Amino acid sequence: MTTTWPYLNVHQSRTHEPTPYEYKLAATLEEVFTKDGHELADVIRGLNARQVHAPDGAPWTEDSFRAEMHRLGA
Amino acid sequence: MTADHIYATGLRNQWHPVVPSSFVAPGAMRKVTALGEQWLLFRRSDGTLSMLADRCPHRGAPLSLGKHLGDRVACWYHGVEVEGDGTVSSVPGLPGCNLEGKKLVRSLPVREVGGAILAYFGDEQHPEPAELTLPEPLTEPGTDAILCYAEWEVPWRYAVENLLDPMHGAFLHHDSHTMYDGDTTAKFRIRETDRGYFFEKTDQRGVNFDWVELCHTGIDWVDLSIPYPPSAGPGGPFGIVGMVCPVDEQRCGVFFWRYRRVEGWQRDTWRFLYKTLIEERHWEVLEQDRVMLEAMPADADQRENLYQHDLGVVRLRRMYRAAAAEQASA
Repeated sequence: MTTTWPYLNVHQSRTHEPTPYEYKLAATLEEVFTKDGHELADVIRGLNARQVHAPDGAPWTEDSFRAEMHRLGA
Repeated sequence: MTADHIYATGLRNQWHPVVPSSFVAPGAMRKVTALGEQWLLFRRSDGTLSMLADRCPHRGAPLSLGKHLGDRVACWYHGVEVEGDGTVSSVPGLPGCNLEGKKLVRSLPVREVGGAILAYFGDEQHPEPAELTLPEPLTEPGTDAILCYAEWEVPWRYAVENLLDPMHGAFLHHDSHTMYDGDTTAKFRIRETDRGYFFEKTDQRGVNFDWVELCHTGIDWVDLSIPYPPSAGPGGPFGIVGMVCPVDEQRCGVFFWRYRRVEGWQRDTWRFLYKTLIEERHWEVLEQDRVMLEAMPADADQRENLYQHDLGVVRLRRMYRAAAAEQASA
């Protein structure tokens, strides 16, 4: 933790530098939200259509997406 | 204290934010400046936080150079030990010394809210903390808030005035992820509330930074709302609860809680996107404010030609001037 003035820190909410997987998932989510919609079903369909899969390689389901967002966003 | 000094270093007899909670780890101390004075934040290992004047009651040495003794701090100069409430517990060089047992160090009431340390800065006539009503977006269930803190080389009031000036959004922040849209002309009005006032556009809502509410609820804060682009996902606009710590006459600490009414997967997804991509974009917007405000000349508010869009700022200055004069004469 810095004690020098001024404190100017771009990233205050992160616990780690996002992994390549996290960056790709985030960028794809933004694209899906922009082009496909904001409902959970839109998101699952949009991610799977773009072949951006869960870390285990499986297509997303609503349950697996909720669990992964909880892990990454909590 | 003179009215000018109060105006320059922050109003007394109310709460102010100081630094983020994370700046003082369990079992640690941190020296801070607030309202033009030196303070020591001191946290026990169980998390209990104290805020003491950074001045040993013996010879005036800074306690922040001393040692953390768990539930006390010991001055480095002569070892005088001070408890979290400001009581001298021991004078090791002269046991039984009449300083022992006396509350000789000023200690401020503190609270921690939304990841920030708030303290009550009363004057001698008002040592008991003012009633504090916290901003709803920081306490309401179903609203998620993420703090951003930054230190600016700017008088505290300029940072508050910037928030009472929504029209700068359409110009200063035109090249940003959230404030590119909306009309560049507007009419504004002031709408009084029982805790402050709104300064708002009369002819546009929900497009850019179209309104701001100033609230005095034992602490001064602003509330405002800015639409997100569709890429930010469900949850609608994000809001900002803003507070400013007057550090000294030339510097301030700004506290911006970005908040959104989201729950469940929508909350988690916003937080994930925020950490990964959005926080950096928000930061770029805030840097535009910092660069502009830090570049303002020292006499900026002495040689102005104001127009209708500045009514919110004028109202703010009048209010703070009057409060400073009242506190100085009390």
